Amino acid sequence: MSDLSQLLDTEPVVATAGTDMLAASIEQQGSVVERADWRPPHAGTEKALAVLFSDDRMRDANATAISRMLAVRPHLVDIKVARDVFPGMTDRTFLHAGPPLEWDRASGPMRGAIIGAMLYEGLADDPDAAAAKAAGGAIDLSPCHHHGAVGPMAGVTSPSMPVAVVTDAAGDGVAYSTLNEGLGKVLRYGAFAQEAIDRLHWMDEVLGPVLSAVLRSRGPIDLQSLIAQALQMGDDGHNRNRAVTSLFLREIGGALVDGADAPIDQRAEVFKFIDGNDHFMLNLVMAAGKLGSDAASGVPASSLVTVMARNGTDFGIRLSGTGDQWFVAPAPPVDGLYLGAFTQEDASPDIGDSTITETVGLGGLAMAAAPAIVGFVGGTAAGAVRRTLAMYEITMAEHPAYQIPMLEFRGTPVGIDAARVVRTGVLPQINTGIAGKVPGTGMVGAGLVEAPMECFVQGINALAATMN
Amino acid sequence: MPGVASTAIRGVLSEPDTTATVLGTASHAVWLLVDREVIVVSTRDATRLPNGVEIAAGAAADVFRMVHHGASVTIGSGQVVFEGLTVDVVRWWNPRPILGRTSTTELAAATAGLPSTVPDVESGPLFAALSAGMPGGILNAAESLIGRGPGLTPEGDDYLAGALAATRTLGEAVGSAATAAMLDAVAGPLALLASIRTTTFSAALICHAVDGRVAAPAGALLRALAGRGDVALSHRDLMHVGHTSGPALAAGMVLGVRSLLQTQSTSQRR
Amino acid sequence: MLSRVEVHPGRYHDSVRLMQASKALQGVDGVSSALVAMATELNLSLLEDMGFDMDAVVGIGPNDLLLAIHAESEEAIAAAHRALEEALTPNVVRSGGLDAPDPKTIGTAAKINGADVALLSVPGEHAFVEAMEALQEGLHVMIFSDNVPIADEITLKKYGLEHGLLVMGPDCGTTIVNGLGLGFANAVQPGSVSMVGASGTGIQEMCALLDDAGVGIRHALGTGSHDLSEDVGASSTLQALEALDEDPGTELIVVISKPPAAPVAEKVRRVAAACATPVVITFMGETTLEEGAGEVLDMLGRPRPTYESWEAPPRSHRPGSVRGLFSGGTLRSEARHVAMPLLGEIGTREGDDGHTFIDYGDDEYTQGRAHPMIDQTVRVERLAAAGQDESVGVVLMDVVLGYGANANPAAELAPIVERVVSAGAAVVVSLCGTSGDPQGRDAQASVLNDAGASVYLSNAAAAIEAARLATTRTSS
Repeated sequence: MSDLSQLLDTEPVVATAGTDMLAASIEQQGSVVERADWRPPHAGTEKALAVLFSDDRMRDANATAISRMLAVRPHLVDIKVARDVFPGMTDRTFLHAGPPLEWDRASGPMRGAIIGAMLYEGLADDPDAAAAKAAGGAIDLSPCHHHGAVGPMAGVTSPSMPVAVVTDAAGDGVAYSTLNEGLGKVLRYGAFAQEAIDRLHWMDEVLGPVLSAVLRSRGPIDLQSLIAQALQMGDDGHNRNRAVTSLFLREIGGALVDGADAPIDQRAEVFKFIDGNDHFMLNLVMAAGKLGSDAASGVPASSLVTVMARNGTDFGIRLSGTGDQWFVAPAPPVDGLYLGAFTQEDASPDIGDSTITETVGLGGLAMAAAPAIVGFVGGTAAGAVRRTLAMYEITMAEHPAYQIPMLEFRGTPVGIDAARVVRTGVLPQINTGIAGKVPGTGMVGAGLVEAPMECFVQGINALAATMN
Repeated sequence: MPGVASTAIRGVLSEPDTTATVLGTASHAVWLLVDREVIVVSTRDATRLPNGVEIAAGAAADVFRMVHHGASVTIGSGQVVFEGLTVDVVRWWNPRPILGRTSTTELAAATAGLPSTVPDVESGPLFAALSAGMPGGILNAAESLIGRGPGLTPEGDDYLAGALAATRTLGEAVGSAATAAMLDAVAGPLALLASIRTTTFSAALICHAVDGRVAAPAGALLRALAGRGDVALSHRDLMHVGHTSGPALAAGMVLGVRSLLQTQSTSQRR
Repeated sequence: MLSRVEVHPGRYHDSVRLMQASKALQGVDGVSSALVAMATELNLSLLEDMGFDMDAVVGIGPNDLLLAIHAESEEAIAAAHRALEEALTPNVVRSGGLDAPDPKTIGTAAKINGADVALLSVPGEHAFVEAMEALQEGLHVMIFSDNVPIADEITLKKYGLEHGLLVMGPDCGTTIVNGLGLGFANAVQPGSVSMVGASGTGIQEMCALLDDAGVGIRHALGTGSHDLSEDVGASSTLQALEALDEDPGTELIVVISKPPAAPVAEKVRRVAAACATPVVITFMGETTLEEGAGEVLDMLGRPRPTYESWEAPPRSHRPGSVRGLFSGGTLRSEARHVAMPLLGEIGTREGDDGHTFIDYGDDEYTQGRAHPMIDQTVRVERLAAAGQDESVGVVLMDVVLGYGANANPAAELAPIVERVVSAGAAVVVSLCGTSGDPQGRDAQASVLNDAGASVYLSNAAAAIEAARLATTRTSS
């Protein structure tokens, strides 16, 4: 029996791309056709795409890469001190969000966070001195991403800070993130007032050790399970984390009340702190995402986007098949709603590693699970659903664990394919908070932003160059 | 709107215009009586039938809402004309699956593990009659099967139709002339029996089945059993057709194959 | 009785869905009881009550998925697994009837309707990527686009061959599979004759002739105009030939193309000769489509008919050359081949002296326009001009019907035909169409005939008539 017997035994079911006439003439014959709304790929990527599609290498590599991303089982196992977990971290090493950055190119919130961290670490006596020292190269800046870590907004991680340790129950990977300070005048928004510094001290003296004791008492926490449940409760994992934070509090509640080896008043402070911070879990969701991202990295020929991150000046991405290379473009302005009297004038360019959530099928890609967000970002519930549906075009898989009830429990679109981005012009949708550009302002609004096309164009061309 | 029709009803569709009566309607189909033949005009999400004309619209489009039971409809010259809706037959499909050749060994392997019975439908007498090649026995068995069960196509009818269609088409595929002769002998009396005992529509399907003409999902399973498709997939698809129809058709087909294998092994031993 | 307890760590589903899954499993033939649930304390005690072995669940917790089955056989357990996957796998592509954006790539479009054939007409320089994606998704591909680099065609066909997929094209205008026409295709009666053709119009003409002779068509597989080049080496032609030979519904195969280079022609003849199914090879230029159709009829044991024609009433026309205005290269080539022995030299470019047959499907006439089979503007102008040109005695045109072509070509042409005939030139039309075509073949013929043209179903016959008219002075 020949290979073509299935074709010749049955009536063809046709999909078309190109002129409508061909589809219409099939419909005239009483059959149905699916039309692709095709447009040419982004200028400057045609040759690269031809190379990448000339055989099955990219396709096979992508299958490997996405399955690795989806196989991780992130568990929160401990809270440790940064200097103890990052090899090579000196007293002057600060990690930060986004692609590599130097002080002179850093935006307001990033500088503010660096200043604040220097004050916290006792590396300077006042903000002006700190700024001068940082400008003079006193601080070694390095992306969190280069150290298995992620940080929201400025993401500044300094040696004394407590960091969450997230390990993979299905593998050897480990990822880290600082703990979330809450809203208002906090370091990650570039605040360096005494209240921010004091809070950081409380976090390393009380929050970190208590949580560590909690984890020793009740064992590791399955983060994927919490996130999956929260997604069905209206969270998106990036901009809305109230449900997952509530679930987390229930997970640790028992040990907090009775079991964790820490003074009762400290346990009470920790409870109140987490209870009062709807975004507490963001950092842990991000670390869980980083685990998947790292697991999927380094597959030759793969066009899977493993990192999307911003440092307040640049937006950078990485692809699985191009190793450690960053592909950067200027961070775009966010299209958002502003709090109080703030306007776009007050906004800092997009900042933070929190787009790791979109990279693993949460955040803007899962907007249909969190239509409540759209009010905050100025859209409609139907619009939120449409944005998620649009993302299936540029992703490799549907998440096996993260499901969207409104879409008949369809898995979230996960695994952004840079090749499909440049072919279709559809860009990853991101929900994000907006920081004030003057250091210390804090959050000025929230909104939607798209990753810049330029990053994907660079990435695809670099990937094609690796294929010989 | 354009329609795709079974070649089995080309005659009535191509001949000069004649009047048909609407036997019944649903959102996915209209059943018409033309002379003594039943024609079904159905939507694309309904099952493609050997006496059917399929239109591209889905049931959700509710295109038949204006058609009423008892209404007069014109059929002929390549069209089915309702009040407010004209279906132009622009294309044809063959309800008799083209199977090529296969062997009894391959057939046995293909049907292994597939159920050949459904509850409440007696299979013994039919199996015996088909295996022994006895037209009289087939008619006797048919008498207890036809009209048994509720619905537009009673379960017994579907079971019988499945068995007959499988015997006809797969019998030809393994080269059994005796099977064809047996079915030819039983066709006429069976048509008469069916016309008395069951719905006009179901009787029509039984007559088509004797000649190997079946609904598209059944045809796909027959092709798969003959080695031209995925048995598990097409079996599952057929099982999902209708309420009891699909499982009854599928089980009947497997019974037909088993009886064919029995006949062939008996004749080989002689 | 077999028992199976499995743990799927970290796999979360809400409780309602899991209860539905449990119910589905319990309905599987051969399964006597089943439990699908998150491993909470309550469900673990349920598991114990149901008599399952609790050793398998040591150390598991509420975030792990439990699957426990009591069944009669391994087959039943396998069936239960399948039922579980089906119950927990949501509707993959269309989610709850919501307003989803249109698919932007052929891969996504094909997933929506489960397509098995991709039909591509994107610009030639972009066709490769879309075609490769379709092949990688397991679809056969028809590439209508032209101007696709030959290296791309070779890569695509090699991949297709390796994966049992047919690449039809590039520059493939016509394919029919089981009666469904893709591209420019005529409505055919169902039958058991199949074709393989490098020329779309060649396929169409053959369909028209066989239809008129009462012969039905099963498949007509287009291979694209470059398939029989030495570079491509007849890859799709041979693949299609083999498949049609094995197709139990095909009792005769026709191969249609302009004459290929000798080594390729030789390869095709050799493979054709080895087929169990009889093969008629029609290399136009060596023979005509009418003759090819005749061979088919001979093999089927049917009489060769005189193909339908609608002759114009006899009248005299002015002397002059034959001006051929064709909508594609194939019928132009055949007409030229047939007419040259009668007329002598026939030019192929506008501005050539004497007899000229021009292909208006050529790039230079289709800039910014649809194909002349759809958009007749240029030919209508040239027809009018020929009427005014005293050096032209006879106009010969093809009119191709079928799906995809102009909805009513005769209506647009008839007024001009009338004027040309009144001006003193004769008009001969080669009408390529079947009785089922949406334009209504006979009605189109009548309109043209009433306007004064002689209409022939056979392109060869039309060319001969045009030549005869040019070498005599009257129409009969």
